[in-house]
Amino acid sequence: MSAPRPTASIAPEDVDLSAPFGPLRLPHPVMTASGCFAYGQQFAHFFDVSQLSGISTKGISPSPRMGNPLPRICETASGMINSIGLENVGCDAFLSDKLPWLAELGVSVWVNFFGEDMASYVECARRLDAGRDKGIDVLEMNISCPNIKKGGIEFGTVPAVAKELTRRCVEATQVPIVVKLSPNVSDVVAMAQAVAEGGAMGVSLINTITAMAIDVRTRKPRVATTYGGLSGPAIKPVALRMVHQVHRALPDLPICGMGGIMTGEDALEFIMAGARSLQVGTANFAEPIAGVRVRDELRTLMAELGIRTLEEVVGCVQPLEPEPTWHTEPPT
Amino acid sequence: MPPTQFRARVTDNRSLTGGYFVLTMQSEGAGSAPLGAVTPGQFVMLRPEAWDRDLLNPRAFSVLDAYPDGTFSVLLKAYGRGTTAMKAMHPGDAMTVTGPLGQGFGPTTADGPTQLLVAGGVGLPPLHLQARRAAAAGLGHKLQMLYGGRDADDLVLLDDLKAWGVDTRLATEDGSVGDKGFVTVALARRIEQAQAEGEAIEILSCGPTPMLRAVRTLALDRGVTAWLCLEEQMACGFGVCLGCAVPVYGEKPYRYCCTDGPVFDAREVRWS
Repeated sequence: MSAPRPTASIAPEDVDLSAPFGPLRLPHPVMTASGCFAYGQQFAHFFDVSQLSGISTKGISPSPRMGNPLPRICETASGMINSIGLENVGCDAFLSDKLPWLAELGVSVWVNFFGEDMASYVECARRLDAGRDKGIDVLEMNISCPNIKKGGIEFGTVPAVAKELTRRCVEATQVPIVVKLSPNVSDVVAMAQAVAEGGAMGVSLINTITAMAIDVRTRKPRVATTYGGLSGPAIKPVALRMVHQVHRALPDLPICGMGGIMTGEDALEFIMAGARSLQVGTANFAEPIAGVRVRDELRTLMAELGIRTLEEVVGCVQPLEPEPTWHTEPPT
Repeated sequence: MPPTQFRARVTDNRSLTGGYFVLTMQSEGAGSAPLGAVTPGQFVMLRPEAWDRDLLNPRAFSVLDAYPDGTFSVLLKAYGRGTTAMKAMHPGDAMTVTGPLGQGFGPTTADGPTQLLVAGGVGLPPLHLQARRAAAAGLGHKLQMLYGGRDADDLVLLDDLKAWGVDTRLATEDGSVGDKGFVTVALARRIEQAQAEGEAIEILSCGPTPMLRAVRTLALDRGVTAWLCLEEQMACGFGVCLGCAVPVYGEKPYRYCCTDGPVFDAREVRWS
């Protein structure tokens, strides 16, 4: 039986936010998410970026990519759809122009990366390995971006393929690999299991959900590629469900939770579902300092609820009723 | 001046004709004027605090004016849910503001070319501010406003231009005031006149994209320098979301409306 929920509040300074994540020792759990923080410099105008525990970079491919045609974004109810097309500076420019600035910050640097086929994934991991002693802490392997036509949707949806891809990238680098999983699957646990078997140090959950919006006046989709990726508070309940499922099935696999986190309470929900670190994404667009605010709110809320450490509450959520037997489909 | 994010309070919400309204705000904090040095064409991202999570992202607006005392204003028209919600804002309501953002128009100068300010619809603010600055510097004679709309109600803040003594030519699609037809017809005639008389001119334009396309075509055809202030969907306004790509000629296929623009040389913009 789990310990009863403490009720007495404690002082905020008595809350220990430190967040062990595999081999990493993060000072607190709140990072920023790939594609929502560029390579970080733009945010230095607004706040001291080193207050974040980590930064996940814009996804890096072996060669630069120019991105998709317009329109690339549209807003939807409590969310937004994007189809940026993985525009990025490429491996070489990242290592020479972007990494040194990030390394100076002293935050955990997660380099999100992808390829267009298995060979280019492996090439990207191998080339980024050169940044191992220059500030890269984690390679966050994106097998789930919906905005890339070429290459495989199967990387993110077929467990055996994801396992093989993970295994080959893990062999190509000594930097720990965290695999960012797609929510666009029927069994996310099977995907997490597969990449863990392939050697992933942890998983990031979730990427955007494939989505669409239509302009009824022009009878056209609102993003040029017809479908894009939905992010923001609209996807948080889905993300929580997936974090919870994976944590239940694989309690020792570190999970970095994300999907519409806007507040400290959102953050604590993810931790109680089973996440050991968090990424704030879409919220950065409206509020550059969102990650730091979320950290501060998390501390205040934990103090109010008498929670001293993250370890006390990671995955602590208890079912209201006897554990449901279904995993992905609601009971009929 | 690098952008900051700050809180402002609405001090006035003034309705104009045609569904337009001017929202005036005061930045919080004594002696703070984060937009004091704004240049015409620079913009702010505005997000009412009351939006909570429903309407997610801030909206981009050109600055209509900004004063050293921390007040500033924007011109809006209720189109979608965001601007409709802003139309209902009252004095005292809190706004999250990010800015100043982007690169504005170059200044009006005594020895430079005559600037033809070609405005349409909600594209008025940067050109209105350009005219205000020029008039204040005693250079009102160095520019002329060509301002178009659907009808008389679609043309606003004309008293300001009159008060500054800025030569203004109006055009309406229904002919209710000024020349009947698109403002680009008036622009074509004005270019012809300038070229016949050997007058040095350049075009500064902001308005609906179809108008900007017509201005660009005209400028390229007649060999006149034109600066276009563009509008694109953007989530952040400071170069991170990469939503506001603008197709351009040159080394890279896209530049960004928020950080490279919103003002672009018409020759650079890759519009078919």
